[in-house]
Amino acid sequence: MSLVHPVVHRRRRSSRKWRLVALVAALSLVAFACGDGGEDTSAEEVTAAQAQAAAAQSDAAAAQSEAVSAQAEAEAAADALAQAQADLEAAQAAAAAAMEGDEVSQSALADAQAALEEAEQRATESAEASQEALAAAESALTEAEQMLDEAMMEQEAAMGPVRVRAAVTGDEASLNPYTYISGFPGWNLLMLQYDSLMQLDADGIPQPWLASSISVNEDLTEYSVTLVEGVTWHDGEPLTADDVAFSVNYYINNVEASRFARDLRGVEDLVVTDDHNATFVLAGPNAGFELGALADVPIIPRHIWEGVELPSEHDFGDTNIGTGPYKLVKYVEGQSYRFQANPDYFRGAPAVDELVVIVFADDAGAQAAIRAYAVDVIFERIPPEQIDLLDAEDSLDVILGPEFTTQMINYDASKRPFDDVAVRQAINLAMNRQDIVDTVFLGAATIGSPGWIHPGHPSYNADIGTVYDPAAANALLDAGGYLDSDGDGVREYDGQPMSFEIITNASDSLRLRIAELTVEMLAAIGIETSVAAVETATWEQAVWPGFDVNNGRNYDIAMWGWSAPVQADPLRLPQLVASVPAGGFLNLTGYVNAEMDTLSAVLGTEPDPAERNGILGRMQEIIAEDLPFVLLLYPDGAYVYDSTVYSDWEFIAGQGIVSKLSLLPPSARP
Amino acid sequence: MTVADRGERAARRAARRQSRIPTLFGLTGGLIVGVLICGAVFAPWLAPYDPTVRVATPFLPPSADHLLGTNDIGQDLLSEMIFGARVSLAVGLVAATVALLIGTTVGVVAGYYPKRLGSAMMRGVDVILILPFLPLLIVLAAYLGRSLLNTIVVIGVLIWAEPARIIRSQVLSLRSREYVLAARSMGAPDRWTILRHIVPRTGLLATGSFVRAVSNAILLEAALSFLGLGDPIQKSWGSTLFWAQSRGAFLTPAWKWWVMPPGLLIMLASLGFALIAFSLEERINPRL
Repeated sequence: MSLVHPVVHRRRRSSRKWRLVALVAALSLVAFACGDGGEDTSAEEVTAAQAQAAAAQSDAAAAQSEAVSAQAEAEAAADALAQAQADLEAAQAAAAAAMEGDEVSQSALADAQAALEEAEQRATESAEASQEALAAAESALTEAEQMLDEAMMEQEAAMGPVRVRAAVTGDEASLNPYTYISGFPGWNLLMLQYDSLMQLDADGIPQPWLASSISVNEDLTEYSVTLVEGVTWHDGEPLTADDVAFSVNYYINNVEASRFARDLRGVEDLVVTDDHNATFVLAGPNAGFELGALADVPIIPRHIWEGVELPSEHDFGDTNIGTGPYKLVKYVEGQSYRFQANPDYFRGAPAVDELVVIVFADDAGAQAAIRAYAVDVIFERIPPEQIDLLDAEDSLDVILGPEFTTQMINYDASKRPFDDVAVRQAINLAMNRQDIVDTVFLGAATIGSPGWIHPGHPSYNADIGTVYDPAAANALLDAGGYLDSDGDGVREYDGQPMSFEIITNASDSLRLRIAELTVEMLAAIGIETSVAAVETATWEQAVWPGFDVNNGRNYDIAMWGWSAPVQADPLRLPQLVASVPAGGFLNLTGYVNAEMDTLSAVLGTEPDPAERNGILGRMQEIIAEDLPFVLLLYPDGAYVYDSTVYSDWEFIAGQGIVSKLSLLPPSARP
Repeated sequence: MTVADRGERAARRAARRQSRIPTLFGLTGGLIVGVLICGAVFAPWLAPYDPTVRVATPFLPPSADHLLGTNDIGQDLLSEMIFGARVSLAVGLVAATVALLIGTTVGVVAGYYPKRLGSAMMRGVDVILILPFLPLLIVLAAYLGRSLLNTIVVIGVLIWAEPARIIRSQVLSLRSREYVLAARSMGAPDRWTILRHIVPRTGLLATGSFVRAVSNAILLEAALSFLGLGDPIQKSWGSTLFWAQSRGAFLTPAWKWWVMPPGLLIMLASLGFALIAFSLEERINPRL
């Protein structure tokens, strides 16, 4: 014993020691969890509350199953009772038989009596048991109900403040109108803090916003706006027409260039009539002023910005003061932005209470993060091959919609052989757009209209068809005298083979693949091409030297694409297709057409919207016939989000989901 | 049998065992390289499809028809691997030849005229060796643009420094040998001496450097192509990796048939040449 005892003793002590260690560890864990209650834990709190709710729910489920088993027990007890009663009857019958019998046996009687007693006892017992079980079942049920109620309440509490974590790929600096970096999503994030006088609705059409009404005079030179009453800046100051006038003059006159100064070109004067009314006086008629300026320019507060000379370097303190639905409360350079909802927003408090935007180095990182549920939405388009894969993940959803970026073929239409419309038409007919959409974009793109405007755009001319017909293309080239006289499979023009280089930027891998498919499709009509994948700067210098069309062009064929704003505003069409002296400063293909120049001149000054649409329709017809370029497709916008966190995203046609509309309750959207 | 005898035999056995390992390495390397070169040469007969033709739907997983599946526009990946050997090996061999030509010239001249010209040249070599290698490669490749020729030139002009040093040290010792001194004292011109007596004696060393340079060049070509600085239209193992990366295969199950095969092939090719180089060096390195 003396040998065994100490061992046991020691073991006990050691187990006690371990228990102590475990206790300390648990305590420190608890302390750590509680001590970490800084502002960063709201997500953890939500998760914890959700976990509690889940636990309560599973408890309730357990109680329910207990109740069910109690009921089953009660039923079994009832069965036993019936059995016991049957036994009793049998025993009584036996006793009666025994008493009636010739040989009245004492022992049989005793047996019968014992059986009787036993049966009676069993019956009582089972009755009691059944009652007990029933009571247990009832209490378990009440308990379960209580627990469920509690769980529901807890879950509701947990759902309370909606917090969305978004991923972007690239820092956007301090997000004021002079520091944001990219047009997308930088401008979109900027506009969460600021408002413009108008706001695009889901169809991409400008609607009154800070301005409650906008009226235009007959010749499109004066835009009068009336501001919504009672709008305040984030610091509580009221918004007045004075701020609007200040903003416009600031953008126009500041030494630093900005997108907004460009928007406001042509504003001659801004007349403030009273606190809530002002009139923009333009130098000439401009039908695109609403979309191009009123819905784009953020209004800034005079009392903050007055006297600021170099806004990109000025220290505005910790936050930007705007009128928008969100306040930027924290910015960590290169890492994250934290936006807090503005509960006093004039259209109503936002549906998302906190928006944290996390900066990732690349797409792959952002996609990995959303798979790991470390972010709830990606504020960048996801590539086509990821759409199905991400959509297949639990609770992740992908929202698709039309976007106005383009993928197209440019050629130098000012020189042989592309100055011949037959060659351009042949190239257009040879392009199998559906094949490109299916192969390269896996279906996540819209087939290009040869007339330039997206089919989802209000100005689209639906009479324009997209035809793929290589036989007709070959016939056109044959008729035009572009024959393959030496039998090498390549046609000739002016004694030279139709052999060209397609220049494209190597950094856009989808465009590179389109170029490869273009080579294949042009080979089918006897035009030999090869892809030259070059640096973006080299490619831009070849297609658009110095970003000025007056410098000419240095390419035969190029893959090209315009960003969304070029197409979103159809009144910019003349910039693309008018001849250079007639204002075609985005006319990269050297295309000239007299009728197009005439139409371009009247488009921006036509006051009647229906007439304007008629002109646009005619211009699309000419483009589809004359082909200053070959539009191949419009990539669709695809955004991935976690539907368990927030799912009310609004896709603005041509703009995507990154806007204040997505974060406002549906009732506050235009 | 004396103790000394036994010791001698043991030593000989050990020596033989030691020399057997390099031979084994050399044979393995030769086998790998041989198989890869055969694959490259007979690619049109071995590959089930033309790798430049779209033969199936994009992003197919492996199947009986497409053993490694298809890439992002529906080209057969197995055929791409087989044809890719051509570009990868060709770049390796040609770039190593360029490097060897530069390296031998510099090494022989610097070794034969070791005083002013030689030391000036060797300082140049030092500069090349000191320069951070991969960044320089990337900058050069980006500056020159994407084509197979540029890739070869860029790699070739950056990896010649090491062969140059090795060959120079050999030439330094050769130039003071009696027969060289004899030829020179009898009035043989430098050019004749170099071509007749020096260059042929550096041949073995040069072979070793060449094989190692091939191994390096294959890795570098893969690195450049993967970064998108090679010609992405050329079917090489590196460009297959580039497309796998840019179309998200690293994040999906497709890495097993789209990322791993080119990765393994690059490793094998580089390893094969490195093993040959190792066994060659064991044999030809001058020992003191």
